[in-house]
Order: sequence, then C-alpha cells, then structure tokens
Amino acid sequence: MFFLIRRLAVLVGTLVIASFVVFLIPYLTPGDPVRKILRGRVSDLNVDPVTLENLRRSYGLDRPLLTQFWDWLVKALRGDLGLSYTRRSPVTEMIGSALGVTTVLAITSLLIALVAALLFGSLAAVKRGRPTDTAITSITQGFVAIPEYWLAPVLILVFALQLGALPSAGWRGPESLVLPCLTLALRPMSYFTQVTRASMIDVLESPHITAARARGLTFGATMIRHGLRNALLPVITLFSVWLAGLLGGSVVVEVIFSIPGMGRLLYESVINNDIPTIQAGVISLVGLAVLITTLTDMGYTLINPTVRAAHVSA
Amino acid sequence: MAELLTVENLAVHTGPRPAEKIVDGVSLTMGESEVLALVGESGSGKSLTAMSLVRLLPRPLTAGADVLTLDDVDLLRATDRSMDQIRGGRIGMLFQQPKHMLDPTSTVGAQVAEPLRRFRGMNRAAARQATIELLRDVGVPEPERRARSYAHQLSGGLAQRVMIAAALAGQPRLLIADEPTTALDVTVEAQILRLLAAKKAELGMSILFISHDLGVVSSIADRIAVMYAGRIVEQGPAGEVLTAPQHPYTRALIECSLLRPGPSGELCSIPGHADSALRITSGCRFRPRCTATHDAHIEHQCAAAEPALATQSHATRCWIGMPTQVKEPA
Ligand SMILES: Nc1ncnc2c1ncn2[C@@H]1O[C@H](COP(=O)(O)OP(=O)(O)OP(=O)(O)O)[C@@H](O)[C@H]1O
Ligand code: SF4
Ligand SMILES: [Mg+2]
Repeated sequence: MFFLIRRLAVLVGTLVIASFVVFLIPYLTPGDPVRKILRGRVSDLNVDPVTLENLRRSYGLDRPLLTQFWDWLVKALRGDLGLSYTRRSPVTEMIGSALGVTTVLAITSLLIALVAALLFGSLAAVKRGRPTDTAITSITQGFVAIPEYWLAPVLILVFALQLGALPSAGWRGPESLVLPCLTLALRPMSYFTQVTRASMIDVLESPHITAARARGLTFGATMIRHGLRNALLPVITLFSVWLAGLLGGSVVVEVIFSIPGMGRLLYESVINNDIPTIQAGVISLVGLAVLITTLTDMGYTLINPTVRAAHVSA
Repeated sequence: MAELLTVENLAVHTGPRPAEKIVDGVSLTMGESEVLALVGESGSGKSLTAMSLVRLLPRPLTAGADVLTLDDVDLLRATDRSMDQIRGGRIGMLFQQPKHMLDPTSTVGAQVAEPLRRFRGMNRAAARQATIELLRDVGVPEPERRARSYAHQLSGGLAQRVMIAAALAGQPRLLIADEPTTALDVTVEAQILRLLAAKKAELGMSILFISHDLGVVSSIADRIAVMYAGRIVEQGPAGEVLTAPQHPYTRALIECSLLRPGPSGELCSIPGHADSALRITSGCRFRPRCTATHDAHIEHQCAAAEPALATQSHATRCWIGMPTQVKEPA
C-alpha cells in the first residue's frame, strides 16, 4: 500500500516537472512568445508594437512566469491545452485520437513480438548450441539490422501489390493493422528473443529446475510451470521500455502506411512549429511513460514474490 | 533380502565417448527398507552417481552401466517417458540447498502438490488438502499458512521439510538424499535426520544417503559405501566399516569426522589433495595420499595396478585388504 502511494507521488511529481518544462517551450525557443502565439491566431504578422503590447497584456503574458504556469496548468488539467496553430482544433482532441491509433498499433505489434519471442527464445535456449539455436540467434541478429523504411515497402510490394491480400495503406479495420504491425514487430521481436533466450538459459541451469524434474514433472511441464515465469521477468522490463518508446509513434511506419498516429502528428507539429500540439504531445508521452513504468513494477511484483517482499518491508 | 536397486559398473563420462570417466566402475545394491550411505570428499562423484540413477546428469555428461535396475524396471532401457514416471514416483530426491531447490516464483504448496496430482491423480482441491496433511506430517508448523509461502520466506530447515514432503508425495520406494543436511546447522540437522529415520520406518522405503561426513551417516546408515575419485573404495555394513575400516582413505575419513570437519566439508587431516587422483594413470588412485605402511611387495602392486573391489559383504579396493594377492602385475 505504502509502495503504491510512493509510486503515485513519483508519478505526479514527474508530471508537474514535465509540464513546467513543456510550458516553458515558447519562452525557451528563440523569438517573442507573443509573436509565436499570434502565428496561430492571425494570418498577418506585421502587427504594430502598440497592438503587440495590448495583446501581451490581454493574453496575460506580462504577468510573472509562475502565475502564468499556474493558469496554464489549471486549464491543462481541465483538458484545455489550447488550439493547434495549424489545424485550429483543440489539441487534446487531436492528441487523443492520434494516441488511440498509436496505442492499438504499438500494443498489437509488441504482443506479436512477445509471443514469437517467447516461442523462439525458449526454443533456442532449450536447443542451446545446436543448429536450431544457431539459426534462431543469427536470424534475429540479422532482423535487428533491417530498417523499417526498407521492410515496409517490401511488405507492401509482396502482400498488397503482388498478392493483393492486404491493404497497402490507410486505417480501416483489422486488416490494415497487419502490415504496419509486422513492420513494427520485427525489431522488438528480435531483441525480446535474444533476452528470452539468455534468461531462459539462466533459468534452465538453476537448481529448482532440476528439483522439479526430480519431482517427476516432464520437461515441458517444468518449462511452463517453473521456467517461463522466471525467464519472463527481464523480458517484461524490455517490453515496457519498447511500449513507452512506440507510443511516441513511428514516423516512418505511419507515413508509409498513412496512419493518423502520434508519430505523424508530432512530426508535423514540429515542422510547423505548432507549439500547443508539441506541448500536449510531450506531456501525454511523459505521463504514459511514467504510468507504464509504474504498471511494469506492479506486474513485476505480481510475478516475483521476492520483489514483493522487498516492497512490503521497505 | 530382495534387491530394490542394482547398479553394476556405472560410469559417468565427461562427454561423448571416448571421454574422461569421472565416475568409474561403481557397483551398488540396495535392499528394501535399507539405508545405504555414500560417503566421500567433495568432488568424489557422489552427486554424479546419484544423478545418473535418475538420468538427470547435466549436459554434456553421459552415463553408462552394465546393469541398472530398480525393482523389475531396467533403468538403462526405460524410455524418457517412463523415466518421468519413475522420478518423483518410485524415486524421490532431496538436495543440499533446499531453498535453492524451490521455485522462487511459485508457492511451496503448489510445488508439493505437483507429484500428488501427477502420481496420485488428485484434483486441485484434493491435492491442496493432501499437501497440507503432508506438510503437517513432516513437521511444518501452521501448514495451511506455510503452503502459501514462498521459498525465501522459509528457513533452511523448513525448506528441507517442504522438500521432504514433496519427495514423499509420490510414495517413493527409494529416496535419494544428496547431502540433505550439509547446509543446515547442527540442531536442525539432527531434527531432519530423525525425521528421515522415522519416515523410513513408517513407509518402508530405502534411502541412498549421500554425505561427506561419516559422523552424520553413522546414526542412520545400515551400510556404507566410501567413494574416492569416482570409485567406490570400501563398502560394507555400517558397523564394520566404522569400527574396522580397511581402506586407508576410510580410516582417514573416520579420524576426520571425530575431529569434526569444517563447515564447507573439506577434510581436515588427509594430507594431499583429491586432484592428485586425476594425474594417476595406473595403479591405485589414492597412492599419492596413502599413508598406510606396507611392504615392498604391496608397494609394487599399488603402483602397477588398481586394486579391484571384491564382492564380499565388506569389501575394499586396497591391495592390503586383499584376502589373497593372486593378481601378479602383468
Ligand atoms: N559438468 C561437468 N563437467 C565436467 N566435470 C564435472 C561436471 N560436473 C561435475 N564434474 C566433476 O565431477 C566430479 C564429481 O562431482 P560430484 O558433484 O559428483 O561430486 P560430489 O562427490 O557430489 O561432491 P560435493 O560434496 O562437492 O557435492 C567433480 O570433481 C567435478 O569437478
Ligand atoms: S592400494 Fe596401496 S596405495 Fe592404494 S590405498 Fe591400498 S595401500 Fe594405499
Ligand atoms: Mg554433491
């Protein structure tokens, strides 16, 4: 319980600090903040100095920085992070929809990667040093080197253009998930496989596996009941790192498959200097990253009672 | 007495043959309801012998034997599938580090229940109930609560009791106990030894009790086999071996156990090191460390050929103990 409260405090603290940094973006980047904000509101930037000062006052930009931050924060908490300079719609809505798309993409890809990795990684560990292991290890090492901007067009060429089995682009229904998810899954799958293999080899050598066999469990039952669970811990950590990373969206994949996700949105907002969108994007990604770390730690404690004991006694 | 276990000429190789033999020519027989102690210094091959009986040698080690039978089952020719039935069923096992032998992520109760479900066909609820009974039976206090504990929450003695419960769950005929008390302190060690003796009497199972300490073994063993450098060098009824040891190595072991060996089990007063046996290619493996006094004729034998272990009930692998020294070195 105390552990939960402490994690919650860390979560809130991180978010407040992150919001402050994000809030400072228009002030830290070169140029007059009023002009930057005006760029979003008016088309003609040749405003005379008097109007500029009036605007500064009416936007509250002449007040102390912390007061401005407080106002901004209160609005942000109500879900109001302003209007996008370029699209003129509320950024929270834009981020919300893009994040939804990216979340589906990221989680589907990583689950594919995880299932494949547990299978191949365990197989390689069990067949350690034999041809199966060598094949799995070298193929996954090769996969790591395949860039997404190469894989995506190849997949489109084969499955969409040649075979006509799947859509080449767009975001309509489950079948449009297949190719982008395969593209995104390949690299994490390779890393997860290597980590699963390594941790499975460790687990296979641990004495409690021998003891389980000595109790009469078959090799398969021992793997499932006492191997996988122990081998899973480092993989879970890696999974959460990748999840936090992929939620930022993949510009390459989203552009190639024209998917309206976070990657494209953030890329465009940086290109267009669309500050409110950047601010909202950064805050939501930081928040999600902290949230994922917390959830991972909690998942970890569920699986490993030794960690649980450490938290209880802490 | 009907034989329960028969082992003839067991060898453990370091890899695919031809390879070095780290256990060689081990022959053992065990009767019903008998405790055979396998004693020797660290590295003498006791654990490898035990693991080859249940085919759990770590890779790349391999084992071979002329005969290996348990009851009527030929363990040499048994399929992997039937070995899965024998381990945890007819043969139960205990190990040296009980806390490391339990899965840290799974409750103690779940692990004791595994053989119950597998070998006694119990459903989940029945197995849970029987697990608690088993734990109570081996002296685990508050068994309902302890069944839900994890290994790291148990003391070494309690963890070994749990391991005993799991080993007994399959109603074994033979319990292989590989230094089950070495990691425990002396009081707990005595408790565990008493528990094992009581369970043996109650269930009529046989125990292959592995230890480096003759003192520990003396309270429980019916017969003793002494191992040195992968070979059995003396074998016989416990009383005879302890009171009238024939092999110089056994004599040294007895002197040491009277002096109480150090906690790591290394022997106190046998001069030389067990590694010296590795360099011996002919003659008796114990020769570099042997302090027995003998005449020139035997000296010659010791260097020329390795003495064989005779088949009488108290036998030794030493030229001095040979009833007749017929074998002239070639
Ligand atoms: N995988 C292996 N490869 C090569 N040699 C091994 C291997 N495992 C064990 N050995 C060697 O075999 C010998 C016998 O080992 P074993 O574990 O049976 O000894 P032990 O009598 O049980 O000793 P301890 O009291 O330390 O448990 C040791 O000298 C060890 O170095
Ligand atoms: S055979 Fe010779 S060297 Fe070996 S133990 Fe006996 S007396 Fe010593
Ligand atoms: Mg051992």
